[in-house]
Amino acid sequence: MDISQIVDRISQKIEAKGHAADKSKIEQKLRRLIEEFGVQPADAERTVLYDIARDFGIQLGNAAGPGDQKLINSVSTEEWVTIEGKIVALGHSPSPSIAYSGIIADASGAIRFVIWSKASVPVIKKDAWYRFESAVVDEFKGALNLKVHSGTTVKELEVDGVLIPVITPLAELTAGVASVRVKMIQEWDVTHDRMLQSGLLGDETGTVKFVTWKDEGMVRLEPGMVYTIYYALVDEFNGRHSLNLNTANILAEEGDIAVSSGASTFQGALVHIAPGSGLIKRCTVEGCNRVLSRQNYCPVHEMQPKFNYDLRIKGWLDDGTHTIDTLMQREVVESLTGMTLEESRELAENNPLGMDEVFLRMREKILGRYLRCEGREIDRRLIVNSCERIHFEPTMLAELLNRTGGEVS
Amino acid sequence: MSTPANGGFPKRENMFEREPARRVFAGELREIREQFRDGTDEKSPSYVLLPTGQRCNRVFLVGSMTEKKRQGEQNMFYRGRIADPTGTFFVAAGSYQPEAMQQMARIEPPAFVAVVGKPSIYETPDGTILVSVRAESVTVVDREVRDCWVLETAKATLDRLDTPSSGPDSVRATEKYHLDPVAYRKMVYHALSQLKF
Repeated sequence: MDISQIVDRISQKIEAKGHAADKSKIEQKLRRLIEEFGVQPADAERTVLYDIARDFGIQLGNAAGPGDQKLINSVSTEEWVTIEGKIVALGHSPSPSIAYSGIIADASGAIRFVIWSKASVPVIKKDAWYRFESAVVDEFKGALNLKVHSGTTVKELEVDGVLIPVITPLAELTAGVASVRVKMIQEWDVTHDRMLQSGLLGDETGTVKFVTWKDEGMVRLEPGMVYTIYYALVDEFNGRHSLNLNTANILAEEGDIAVSSGASTFQGALVHIAPGSGLIKRCTVEGCNRVLSRQNYCPVHEMQPKFNYDLRIKGWLDDGTHTIDTLMQREVVESLTGMTLEESRELAENNPLGMDEVFLRMREKILGRYLRCEGREIDRRLIVNSCERIHFEPTMLAELLNRTGGEVS
Repeated sequence: MSTPANGGFPKRENMFEREPARRVFAGELREIREQFRDGTDEKSPSYVLLPTGQRCNRVFLVGSMTEKKRQGEQNMFYRGRIADPTGTFFVAAGSYQPEAMQQMARIEPPAFVAVVGKPSIYETPDGTILVSVRAESVTVVDREVRDCWVLETAKATLDRLDTPSSGPDSVRATEKYHLDPVAYRKMVYHALSQLKF
């Protein structure tokens, strides 16, 4: 990095404000930061600029320069940018220090924004176009966010024309804002008083969970219907995405979508069976169904003298190159082990080892065996729908014998 | 649409990945001499380097347990010999592998067993090098599972021979071992020829 270039840039900005810039002093400050303290050149540039700007009483936002005008999908974090776009969502301000929060979009994409109360901005209206000059991009939980602060200039623009949002396939979602065309495939129980609806949406490429919180004008989706959802918030947690529809415009559509079943098949040896497999007890509180501990303790509903028995196997299937976590539910466990739920329950009740006896017997029947499992992969775990043992294949033996090249190769 | 993904948010890289169990014949495993750790942390996984050029933290093997011995008084553990068509695996299970130890206690050799475990290299006081597998589980299986394993291990070994990766492990294996591909193919052929159509 050539320090003299940075010196020139800084002095130009200072001179543009009508102050004299002392180049040698700037260079000295920069060298100290970069060479002595190992500061990244870009950070050093900003620090020095801020220092000098403060000395001269120049307003910081402008001192840092407005930033290049960019398309929304090309901004990156910790950057000063100028963008022009349409306000496609405007939310309630969650705090008195925030004047507005919402989503601004252009033809390339959309981004969340926050306008601080300290920023002097005109009244912001939904569906109007604005120019945000020298706003700052930052990142929270993987999603980019535009901060409009006291140094940002906001101007309303006269723009005619229709903004056509880009539709993102579910498999390509990233944290931020996205428009999707989906079919509502499952409605789930709401888990919170403030929640209006939650469930699963799907398109040809995959599925995603969604949440709508109770608010004025919010609508419920109908299972089986197809919707185009413009400008939903995409959140990410542990590598999984979910859509928050509160900011979105939702349009019901005709037609149907062949939703990807997400079905996948994996075969390999069952190399480990995890604790918590075999015969388990489940909480009977409606909508809970959580697994009880040995002491009949539910993590949410505490002691539960009553419970339902169930069978499941959590195990690792390994093909020598990859290992995947699998979860088999009752029907699969019964057909694979030949032990029914009823038999397992009797065995546990009449045996000194109790439920452990079921675990041990199942382990002896299936651990180390070759299995072919078909199911849905969710969150890197295969939820197994069907499972069968793999048998010896003489045709494979013939192929491999040929591959070795015979006895003398 | 959507904002760019260049924020560098750690997505799935940090999530725990279980080490796959490699399929290796006894004839290859007894040749290993290289053992290393990936990283300096106490919990960094340890690997052995296979002569065919792959690092290996865990193995899955199926063979006939021909012998089983209980050893030690205070720190009791089991040792077993497990034969495959190419040689013998030495398997051990101690108090840190309670599952495998309890399983081994109940097995009466000879029996076909499936073993999941971690290979390591030991040097005896007289300088002999021993390769042993510390078992995580030892389960009695039938002959068909053994036959499937021989097929699968033959395929895995041929794959390693036929598509040598150009990665650092492969380079290191070439330096450390004098691999004779012809001998390995013969070993695979010999193992396969013991199976019936």
